[in-house]
Amino acid sequence: MSAARVWAVTMRVLRQMRHDVRLIAIMLVVPSLAMILFGFSFSGDIRGVRLAVIDEDRTDLTAEIIDSLKGDPTFRVTELPPGQDPEKLLLSGYQAVVRLPDKFTSLYYAHFAMGVATEAHGTLHLWLDESDPQIAAAVRAGVAEALMDIGEGGPVEIEEHPLYGVEVRFIDSFAPAIMGYVVTFICSLLTLLSVVREKVDGTFERLWISPLRRGEFILGYVIAFGMVALVQSGLILGLGKLVFDIVINGSVFWALVCIILFAVGNVGLGTFLSALAQTESQAILLFPLVVLPSVLLSGMMWPLQAIPPVLRPLAYLVPLTYGNRLLRAVMVKGLAPWQEPVGLAGVLGFLVLTVALASVSLRATARE
Amino acid sequence: MEAAVEVQGAVKSFGLVRAVDGVDLRVFRGEIYGLVGPSGAGKTTLIRMICGLLGRDAGEVRVLGHPIPEGKRHVEGRLGYMPQERALYRDLTVEENLLFFGQLNGMPRGEIRDRIAEILEFMRLSHLAVHLAGNLSGGEKQRLSLACALLSKPELLVLDEPTVGLDPALRQEFWEHFHELKDEGHTILLTTHYLEEAGRCSRVGFMRAGRLQVEGLPAELQARVAQAVGGTPSMEEVFLFFARKGVE
Repeated sequence: MSAARVWAVTMRVLRQMRHDVRLIAIMLVVPSLAMILFGFSFSGDIRGVRLAVIDEDRTDLTAEIIDSLKGDPTFRVTELPPGQDPEKLLLSGYQAVVRLPDKFTSLYYAHFAMGVATEAHGTLHLWLDESDPQIAAAVRAGVAEALMDIGEGGPVEIEEHPLYGVEVRFIDSFAPAIMGYVVTFICSLLTLLSVVREKVDGTFERLWISPLRRGEFILGYVIAFGMVALVQSGLILGLGKLVFDIVINGSVFWALVCIILFAVGNVGLGTFLSALAQTESQAILLFPLVVLPSVLLSGMMWPLQAIPPVLRPLAYLVPLTYGNRLLRAVMVKGLAPWQEPVGLAGVLGFLVLTVALASVSLRATARE
Repeated sequence: MEAAVEVQGAVKSFGLVRAVDGVDLRVFRGEIYGLVGPSGAGKTTLIRMICGLLGRDAGEVRVLGHPIPEGKRHVEGRLGYMPQERALYRDLTVEENLLFFGQLNGMPRGEIRDRIAEILEFMRLSHLAVHLAGNLSGGEKQRLSLACALLSKPELLVLDEPTVGLDPALRQEFWEHFHELKDEGHTILLTTHYLEEAGRCSRVGFMRAGRLQVEGLPAELQARVAQAVGGTPSMEEVFLFFARKGVE
């Protein structure tokens, strides 16, 4: 073996890289981004869950429980006057509702007065949005902790009111996220690769000489990948139901409509990103730009409340954040898409923006 | 004679390099016009400007009577282009490639099938119809690329180095195709850096360093050189004569 020849090969590879400025930029940006995102995106603790507290008893004891909840960083507590419908509060954006009913305190102390033989105890009512089981678990733990603060082994029963009629498991809320993720991956990345390949192989030039319009080109891609997204979503739903017996509370029809809207946005994203890559290897190196934020910051693996507040605004720039929100609302909560306006607006905004950007980037490519 | 392509004072620079430097060119209907010159002479840049694939810094371009790029829509479907890269979908079969380009050019479905069979026969590719384009040999890819450009029977064919890399027998075959197409009334503008191919064109223009140095009928150019240096000069000697003259 000749060290000189080995060195010659090494230098040739490095020199090739040196001539590809884009490749160098991508090679530097991607690992830095990966490290920053992985390192900071999951703090391990869930912080700032929106909790509504309705105190109907208004005693020192209930005030103490509420203070304890307020002191827990898991929650962002809002005290509301009695008479509110907890289910409506959950639909309006609260993630949990605690109700301390009238006579809570007297029943609590009655237990001590009448001795252990009595069944008297205070009852705390808890309504939970279980569409994200990790948040639900954090809420349960936080409430239990607040009750521990007023006296270990105190006679309080927590009565849970399941919002969707059944207990939602991790897999149930993970299925919509997986659907969103697969559509992101397949539609944006395959479009990106496919469009870059048209550039590299020169087929683009034939297309621009033909009567084909940019809009027709994008729509052609949208329909093809929309079909792929439908088949994949059907597969995920079918497997989820058959193998994991996932709970689908909502309408499969609306879920598929949302998936198609999200797929269109991702085809637009892939087409737009193709303007940043001149070769297939550059395109492949752009993959993490799409994949990493989607996995780490979209609420797919862990709730947004588990992402440190500094990074949380970034989560709202990730399309899958809205895709997840919309799909979970439709599939787990059983809502119609318009009943989750933030998710729907996010997905539609993403669609309009990326398709417009795709059209601009194709115009630029056609004139290169 | 009516011009299929008219270029006046075309200029295109890439950074400090003037790839096309004030070219005037007319290609008449029904002729084979060969743009001949070494690599880097500006041939590809010029024909990409003619096809509307590249903007220009100055000058005018008209194709089939329409200004480019403003009138590009009137030319679409009437112009067949074969780029140097061969521009095929590797993961489609020979037939599927042709079908796609036929559909893009608005050919009716029934007509496309017949036309594909006809063009596969003409290009001797019938036996490869269901093979993936990516698995074809270099020569076969080139034939398919030409077939894609010819499919919709365009009035004007712009071919960028259509014979590069082909063995002499296949090049001969390609030139026979070009003459058949010319006889059918098609106009062909092609580039080549094989100087001996210049002799097979109706008219030829020598390009060098972004300029069209000289153009005319091949025999006419040969006669001019013969007059100056004597003997029977080959097209290569003709080119070298004008190249030196250009330097002087």
